[in-house]
Amino acid sequence: MFESAKFIISKLAKDRTSLVGACLIAGLLLIALFAPLLAPYPQDVSEFHPPERLLGPSMLHFFGTDRMGSDIFSRMLFGARITIAIAVIAIGVSVLIGVPIGLIAGYNKNWISDGLMRVSDIFLAVPQIILAIAIAQTLGPSIENVILALSATYWPFWARLVYAETRSALTETYVEASIALGASPFRVMVFHVLPNISSSIIVRTTIGMGGTILTAAALGFLGLGPPAPSPEWGRTIAESREFLPEAWWYATAPGVAIFLVVMGFNLFGDGLRDILDPRTRRSHDG
Amino acid sequence: MRVLVLILNRLLWFIPTLIGLMIITFTISHVIPADPVAFFAGDNATPEQIEALRVRYGLDKPLHIQLVNYLIGVTQGDLGVSIYTQRPISEDLLARLPATMELTFMAVFFSTIVGVPLGVFAAIYRNSFLDHFLRVLTVSGLAIASFWLAILFQLLFAMELQITPLQGRIDGWGPESITGFFILDSLIVADWDSLQSALSHLVLPTLTLAFPAMATIVRFTRAGVLDAINSNYVLYEQAMGLPSNLIIWKYVLRNALIGTVTQIGLIFGILIAGAVVVEAVFDWPGLGLYAVEAILNSDYNAIMGFTLVTGAFFIIVNLVVDILHGVIDPRTQA
Amino acid sequence: MKYLKVFKALMLSVALTAVSIMGVSTNSFAKSKFVFANSSPYDTLDPHVIYDVGRVASRLNMYDGLMRWLDNPPQLTPWLAESYEISADGKTYTFKLRKGATFHDGSPVEAKDVVYSIERILALKKGAVSLFSKSIEPGSTQAPDNHTVVFNLNAASSIFLATVPAIHVVNSDLLKSKEVDGDWGGTWLSKNEAGSGSFELTRYDPAIGFQAKRYANHFMGWGDKYLDEIEFRTVKEINSRVLGLLNGDFHGTDGYLPQDQVKRLKADSNMNVLEEESMRIFYSIIHNGRKPFDDVNLRKALSYAFDYDAFINNILSGSVARNPVPVPNNIWGNPKDAKGYTYDLEKAKEYLAKVKGPIPEITIGALAGYGQTEQAAALLQNGLSKIGLKSKIVAEPWSVASKKMRDEQQMYDMLWLWRSTYYADPNNWVGEMYACDQVGARNNSWYCKPEVDKLLMEARVEPDQAKRAANYEKAAKMVTDDAGGIFVYNTKWFGPYNKKVKGVRFSPIGNAQEMRWVHME
Repeated sequence: MFESAKFIISKLAKDRTSLVGACLIAGLLLIALFAPLLAPYPQDVSEFHPPERLLGPSMLHFFGTDRMGSDIFSRMLFGARITIAIAVIAIGVSVLIGVPIGLIAGYNKNWISDGLMRVSDIFLAVPQIILAIAIAQTLGPSIENVILALSATYWPFWARLVYAETRSALTETYVEASIALGASPFRVMVFHVLPNISSSIIVRTTIGMGGTILTAAALGFLGLGPPAPSPEWGRTIAESREFLPEAWWYATAPGVAIFLVVMGFNLFGDGLRDILDPRTRRSHDG
Repeated sequence: MRVLVLILNRLLWFIPTLIGLMIITFTISHVIPADPVAFFAGDNATPEQIEALRVRYGLDKPLHIQLVNYLIGVTQGDLGVSIYTQRPISEDLLARLPATMELTFMAVFFSTIVGVPLGVFAAIYRNSFLDHFLRVLTVSGLAIASFWLAILFQLLFAMELQITPLQGRIDGWGPESITGFFILDSLIVADWDSLQSALSHLVLPTLTLAFPAMATIVRFTRAGVLDAINSNYVLYEQAMGLPSNLIIWKYVLRNALIGTVTQIGLIFGILIAGAVVVEAVFDWPGLGLYAVEAILNSDYNAIMGFTLVTGAFFIIVNLVVDILHGVIDPRTQA
Repeated sequence: MKYLKVFKALMLSVALTAVSIMGVSTNSFAKSKFVFANSSPYDTLDPHVIYDVGRVASRLNMYDGLMRWLDNPPQLTPWLAESYEISADGKTYTFKLRKGATFHDGSPVEAKDVVYSIERILALKKGAVSLFSKSIEPGSTQAPDNHTVVFNLNAASSIFLATVPAIHVVNSDLLKSKEVDGDWGGTWLSKNEAGSGSFELTRYDPAIGFQAKRYANHFMGWGDKYLDEIEFRTVKEINSRVLGLLNGDFHGTDGYLPQDQVKRLKADSNMNVLEEESMRIFYSIIHNGRKPFDDVNLRKALSYAFDYDAFINNILSGSVARNPVPVPNNIWGNPKDAKGYTYDLEKAKEYLAKVKGPIPEITIGALAGYGQTEQAAALLQNGLSKIGLKSKIVAEPWSVASKKMRDEQQMYDMLWLWRSTYYADPNNWVGEMYACDQVGARNNSWYCKPEVDKLLMEARVEPDQAKRAANYEKAAKMVTDDAGGIFVYNTKWFGPYNKKVKGVRFSPIGNAQEMRWVHME
């Protein structure tokens, strides 16, 4: 395990685009972590200065000020925390639900596994954003509910993936051997199948982060994310529309922030896939 | 034979999947704390008025009875009546469908005619400047928030340069309605003003919607072409001395397209999900906007109707793709 | 390199298509067609199922009532009626209809149509019905002859006359012929029109709006300047409305745009921005029925913690006038000497100290999609945090908020919103907002104080306006002293029109959307 991790890291370090991705993710994490230190006006998350509203970018306010006169740059930094929290928790929950379901459905070949896969198919039959909007609207706008809505709609991706991977892993000789030797299903699933398919899960999870951040931002944009005066990026873009085209800076900063972060996860995920997933590797380096 | 089994197997699951879908949407839409009746009854409604309306729409019955009533209605082609517009949902959806289809079709058309050639070039000149540039472009296409891209387009083309309309589907009332597709209708009745207006309104939403789809197409075409180039039979053809142009276009592209066709389901997914947000920004009177409005108005029947129709559509697309895949790709038949 | 050529050709054709598509025509309209960009959709045209400000144009332009509110300050003017009489006990209202008024199909407007209209309102139980359901029994309205209508109220009412304009008269013969399953012709009327108004419907699409042409035989007659055609189109996005106005696609739009956009319109030489003081007060409901908000000290603390000045002068750029009481400044019954609250954190803390027991986190409601309510909520939250109160903002769409407003348990602790003019009488504001009999319906504050209620109930039956005014003034002051809500401002109307548009006649009821006096130069 340790050797392979070292191998992956050294491979990744050689891939320029993955490196860019990794830097963007690291940047997001650092910003989120040190937001209170980095922000010139950390109090502006909840503090307003109405006389200074809608000022353009300047040395005092790098990204200008918003409709309440708060510093957009400072708010963007704190918005990073919300984005990280939503994406990490929602994906975490999806993995925790999807992976066991996929394992169980993949390992067994009976009506339970058919049923589980049907349920996940039903979820996959509708565009994720529609279900997420419906759930988020039902529960009311808040960070927690966005996480819930995203988890409830994203787990089938992992269930499907793990199901397929488990089915093919079961045909591997060493798994067959351990079943023949009388290992319990739980043991086979956790100690033989899971490590074997973990790389696919990691790749899917990394790329899934980007998609989740986009969907979360779209929910915020539609007014289903955390309420005002939250500095959530999607909501900030929605707020800004009323003040376009004069206050062009208002929508620019959060849009670029979303773009860079999603780009980071996608690039890093691509790099990981090329290294970890031998079947798609060819397509990338030709 | 295998294809037939595949079709039968998929059809067998079609109905239960739809029912499952209905149950899920029903559950979600009926725990909404908002009261659609209160909304529709208006600002001045008294509690008694609201109660009377609730009885009229059957919302006073227990949930399971409402669900059964709904399922029975659906089998008769009745999706219920929208509490908000007071019209049958099927009528509303049908009226909104052409707008979404027109936009989606344009997006598919645009992303394909641009995406496929770009994908082929990226593969042929892999690791060239063009390839790297396209890689950045495709990664951006999938990383950009469509609502933000839409706003950027609006800011640049509609507000600053003022060369496209900001929003909407057409100026005024559009051409005489025959098919509901404005481009087609205006061509049929030779209404050139409407045609120009419809086309100009399509530019920004199409570009916004097509960008991520195009990125996906470029990636899959590139991968497919590379696969094909490296496969043995192309090497064989080369050894046979066939000109490389011919090989590329005739053999490689055909094989690469198989890969792309199988991704149509995925692309439709991107487009429909994108349409919801893009239609909201551009105020495009299609299904996506209808869904968002229905959700905001807690219009139960409309939410369920929309989910059901999109879900069914999605399942059918995937079914067709599976079958197509089975037909074109000999490997699945082996 | 054959494929390069193909590629070049492809790109060229794409570029050409794009260029040809992008050339946009500027639409020119027929000389006297007026296009109005409206923010809310005209999802139904039935005048009896809706009673809101956003969709008022379809009612005002295609339908008439017995009376009509005109101008600013609003004057109640006989319209289809030529005269009316009120019995001594204040319970019987007899209207004489003018002769010669006709529906758009040419048939005369008669008393039976008025009777059918009020019965239809009472039966459908929608729209304006709550104004009448308590005072008029179904079947009690009579038509002794073709030109006389008699309303028999349950009890004397001094506001009935003010609400008569809400009874839009429909063509009863036509509707009866369109009736399906006892729906009072509702299915048909939601997409069609059966009125006698100044304009008759020519085209309607719920996704676009409606178009109507001048009804030459309207009873009011026409001068030599008028509009041949009007069109009300739904354009939800503010920026689209403003841009369309600037490039001449629209000739008018709603008068409650954000100030930043009003500035942009004022700067344009083709625009004419009319200004009128409207009657539309902005305030925050406080849930008086819930602990600890039943404590006047807490409510006063809340009232002192809102930065009125920053909100009015900075966020709204001074475009509105401070209105410290629950009656608009520009209507009778407004206490001119009332002193409202100011932003004073010291006083807020003082009152807060008198509140016994712990104060839980306060939920401040705002209306999603109405940025101003969110900004007010955020500003209040900021003030509250400075006096040590915790709060959270919940922005929900009107569909959710309107339901919660009617439920004592679900209602937010506070909610920011406007109170528009449905009829120009102080009863429309303080008389409904703080009356005991409206609790849970039009009184969403669960505020019920016997001494205030007595004044309001007296005013509802008192025929003498001077006496009524005194009561409303007193009641408004008492509610303000009692901090029944946070009263902020009264709206100004900034009606943006194309320079060519003349003759706009503003009234707070309808916001200048009645087009019969408008013409284009």
